[in-house]
Amino acid sequence: MDAAKIKKENWIRPGMTPAEMVKILRELDGVALTCTGMRDAGQSDFKNRHRIYDLTTLCPYYEDMMLFSSECHGGARWHVGIMNRKESPFEEIELLRKHMPSVLLQTLIRETNLWGYRPYPKNVIEYVVERVDIDVWRCFSFLNDVRNMRTVAEIVMQRGRLFQPAISFTQADWTTNDYYLGVVDDIVQLCAGTDEIVLCIKDMAGVGSPERIRSLVDAIKQKYPDLVIQYHRHATDGLAMPALLAAAKAGAKVLDAEEDSLTRFYGQAPILALQSYLEESGIKVVLNREMAVKAVQRVRDWIGQYEWAESPFKGFDHQVTFHRMPGGAFPSSFEQAQKGGFLHLMPSILQLMSLYNRIVKYFDVTPGSQITWVTCSGIINKYEKELGTAGVQHIIDLMTRFVLEKDQDLDAMEPEEQKEILQLFRNAPGDFKNLILGGYGRLPMGWPADWVYESTFGDDWQEKIKERDDSSPLESLKHDDLERISNDLGVTLGRKPTEEEFTLYLMHPKDTINYIDFREKYGESPLVLPTDVWREGLKNPGDKVEFELWGKPYCIELLSVGAEHEGLIHVVMKVNNKTNVYKVETPRAQKAEIRMASGEEEIGAPINGNVWRIGNPDRGTIKVGDIVHQGEEIANLEAMKMENAIIAPFDAQVEEIAVKLNDQVQENQLLFVLKKL
Amino acid sequence: MADKIKRMLIANRGVPAVRIIHTCRDRGIPTVAIYSTPDRLAHHVMMADKAVHIGEAPPAESYLNMEKIIDAALETKSDAVNPGWGFLAENADFAQMVIDSGLKWVGPNPKVIRIMGDKIEAKRLAQKANVPTIPGISDVQDVDQITQWMDAEGVEYPIIIKAAAGGGGKGMVKVADAAELPMALAQAKSEAKKSFGSDVLLAEKYIERGRHIEVQIVSDNFGNVFHLFERECTLQRRNQKIIEEAPSPSIDENIRHEICFTAVRLMREIAYNTAGTVEFIFDSSTKKFYFLEVNTRLQVEHGVTELITGLDIVGLMIDVVEGSELALKQENIHMNRWALEVRVNAEDPKTFSPSFGTITRLQVPTGPGVRVATGVYEGADIPPYYDSLVMLLMTSGRTRDGAIKVMDRTLSRNFRAEGVKTLAPLLLSIIRHEAFKRGEFSTRFIEAHLDELVSTFRETDSQDEVLKIAKYVAEITALGPQEWM
Repeated sequence: MDAAKIKKENWIRPGMTPAEMVKILRELDGVALTCTGMRDAGQSDFKNRHRIYDLTTLCPYYEDMMLFSSECHGGARWHVGIMNRKESPFEEIELLRKHMPSVLLQTLIRETNLWGYRPYPKNVIEYVVERVDIDVWRCFSFLNDVRNMRTVAEIVMQRGRLFQPAISFTQADWTTNDYYLGVVDDIVQLCAGTDEIVLCIKDMAGVGSPERIRSLVDAIKQKYPDLVIQYHRHATDGLAMPALLAAAKAGAKVLDAEEDSLTRFYGQAPILALQSYLEESGIKVVLNREMAVKAVQRVRDWIGQYEWAESPFKGFDHQVTFHRMPGGAFPSSFEQAQKGGFLHLMPSILQLMSLYNRIVKYFDVTPGSQITWVTCSGIINKYEKELGTAGVQHIIDLMTRFVLEKDQDLDAMEPEEQKEILQLFRNAPGDFKNLILGGYGRLPMGWPADWVYESTFGDDWQEKIKERDDSSPLESLKHDDLERISNDLGVTLGRKPTEEEFTLYLMHPKDTINYIDFREKYGESPLVLPTDVWREGLKNPGDKVEFELWGKPYCIELLSVGAEHEGLIHVVMKVNNKTNVYKVETPRAQKAEIRMASGEEEIGAPINGNVWRIGNPDRGTIKVGDIVHQGEEIANLEAMKMENAIIAPFDAQVEEIAVKLNDQVQENQLLFVLKKL
Repeated sequence: MADKIKRMLIANRGVPAVRIIHTCRDRGIPTVAIYSTPDRLAHHVMMADKAVHIGEAPPAESYLNMEKIIDAALETKSDAVNPGWGFLAENADFAQMVIDSGLKWVGPNPKVIRIMGDKIEAKRLAQKANVPTIPGISDVQDVDQITQWMDAEGVEYPIIIKAAAGGGGKGMVKVADAAELPMALAQAKSEAKKSFGSDVLLAEKYIERGRHIEVQIVSDNFGNVFHLFERECTLQRRNQKIIEEAPSPSIDENIRHEICFTAVRLMREIAYNTAGTVEFIFDSSTKKFYFLEVNTRLQVEHGVTELITGLDIVGLMIDVVEGSELALKQENIHMNRWALEVRVNAEDPKTFSPSFGTITRLQVPTGPGVRVATGVYEGADIPPYYDSLVMLLMTSGRTRDGAIKVMDRTLSRNFRAEGVKTLAPLLLSIIRHEAFKRGEFSTRFIEAHLDELVSTFRETDSQDEVLKIAKYVAEITALGPQEWM
């Protein structure tokens, strides 16, 4: 069908079977587009901080834009959502469904790692994938270990949703067409043919040269002419446009793009420009340009509020073809470097990364990119700390010689150098160790050289090599006890968690608890407040913010902000005409920290109360160094005229008495430190 | 003849003081409040016509400081002292001091307070009036004495040790087995000494799953003794009542008749002469009731009786003090609805540990079938020195179910307090519990069901939610962009 003539009525929409969608794409004369404006655009250049409040303003345009899909979910957006934006991915889906019901919603999922950073057992994957209302499931493996995709594929296909297996792409001497065809064979076998899937080539770092991409798409199409191919590409190397054209010419049917006004350096290509470029080159594009123009325009209304979230490292970086840091990791890595005070080391870290990926071969994308980043930034930081700038240069030179000139031949190095190389990975993170032992699955080019193990594990290295296991985590991981985990969460919350809260908790336990606490305290603030108010509050007296909550109109107006006094700032606001005074504690106000009891030898207060007796009437006051006996009363608290005896839980010597007589203490505040006898 | 009160000093604070001020206002009696330093902005202080600062925070220096209170009454030309409940309400010495100072005492004859305040003596009098009592011993000194008594009378654990002078759960310790006995005895002794100034104790058989039923009595100086039916006060935590209702769902008409007239008989026997309560424990398996004690004062839960009978008990007490004969006839006292009361204490609903601080938001329930007795207002402080009761919520309906539904509305959609924690979420969970709705509960109900009660989800409305958003806006406005963003 002619791309220019397709109408909304006969275009792809939620509820269609995967086979119907694939059929439409196969018969399409031209290409369709996935818009990444709601996920990868934000992840690549704005640290995933784009709030659903702003993104939903684009929905009316997307609804009629004739996109193949809107990539709006998954990747790191899930985690950053609960951690930084305080939005739940479930709320986001609900809002997007409501505001653009005709658009396929697309996620990015990391096979057994789902939206977290470690492999999850099969029953967790099943539980989670069954409960997320997404139409297109782009699933990748940083090892291209297709076995790891099995559970996600099964559940998605059973649910009648479109499974989009991705091959992680990089440009290296070992990533040949033959290698990729092998991966595609595995995928086609896993998905029982090509009729119900779209294959994605995931060029997450933006490194594929136009010719390389043409050749790869062509090779796949030669072998599997019916396979629908989507090309996902970041713009980092500056060559996105010609590479996308090359992919389309070679037969790719869907391309990823984002609003021109969102485009910076590490995300996708600009959608309006891409459409023009393709059409000028004779490739028809399914896109309602009028709507796309409006979406691009609408972005400008709010994008200025995210300048603070942009990467400090600006501009294209063709060197990415060596260091291969993926677009999504650019802002977060630079942010970490900035926070950690080692931004000046970034060039060296990127240099080491380009050597590192010749030593341990996998694809730099989550969680691999994090392993690469933590390992390489750790090594460079260690050298700088111990030996300064010269040390950093020294290790780069040494490794350049060892990897590039000597081809990792340890014997070709001086004995001193050998010793140093065999220490290189000694402080590598646990995830690196897990990776080279097979914890994530099979490495695409097999195990790294033996020296890597010796360098990582020291004397135990031969033992460790015996532990290597390249079976899929789907087979090697034991099921989690979901009921127990849910009960644990219930105990922490003091109530039964909702199914969505539990799903979030499975992925990121600590951050989910913080998120739930935040939302219990601040309600729907993340959903209803405009971004300037969300980030900076109301600036001047008379400023107001208006919103609807449950269909009711509300207005919050700032009347005054007091000066800081004794650690408090008084904020006076009108909430729908009623004046309220808020006492806000400044960080300085956080008083001397109260010590809490933890562990069995620290005795805490069972209630809030007053310490009216230390010791007991029989023996009088207890002092540090005294011996107390199991069952003996060692203090007594009073609250509301009720007495509460503090009983020694075992025979012990009093090491410390942390309170004074008549102190007012709070629940679980440390009273005694005892030493068990 | 009637000797009208010209000015009433209320020797109390919080909910009881406010309650009494309301009736005084109805009767045109000017009121004088007393207050301790931390209570200087308290609700009762602002409501009274006049107020007198009486001392520092510790009760002994303020609300228990008898000389100062009497001086305050004299200085303000008050001619009557109303003690409410708690503090000096059952202190016979104080009552006598009031009378000796030429003031009217709104309460029973000090001798009656003294006798009934002594649990041992009270029990003896009850037996004399042919009122059934629980097996027990008085004047407990040591562990051996208790074990000997248990052996002699064939009493089995659990038992309960309490202060002879006590009430309100303080100085009351349950003992489950012989091993706990020494510690429990010591604790009861110390608490008794602290709360009541006397460490005389008694020990009794503890009735498991007993129900706590009490009969409201009003009587005068003309030999009239009336009952205003019973209240059920079974739902307690740590021996303190938190939900009360009238009438009792545990008894039928026959038992009601019997228990009420037993109470009348006892009060007549001791020549009781104001409002008071006879408490019983009811063993629902044997349908037997036993005398517990007489509360020689107005009680916290008197309001539910007022709701079912339409009488003003505080007003009746004033009538008696003013020398009137009660214009009542037993056969004309009817109950024509069901009433429920919950005690909104400033406590953590999960741990019951007290919660102090400023009430930053207070939404007082309104609507049909609701009565509120509050001791606080929005912006008031709850100081840590006194009892944690901040508000009584009472609801009534034609039936028990009706009263429960009104209470549900009141707690879930009406009452709101922020700044301090309150028992409200727990209270809501209790009244929604199936066993409570069926009227099947004992004094152990809360302990037994605590887990499921505290885990119940709390309801919110859009007003609650918008205030959370406003709080966020206020914090960010004051502090600017946050690290976590």
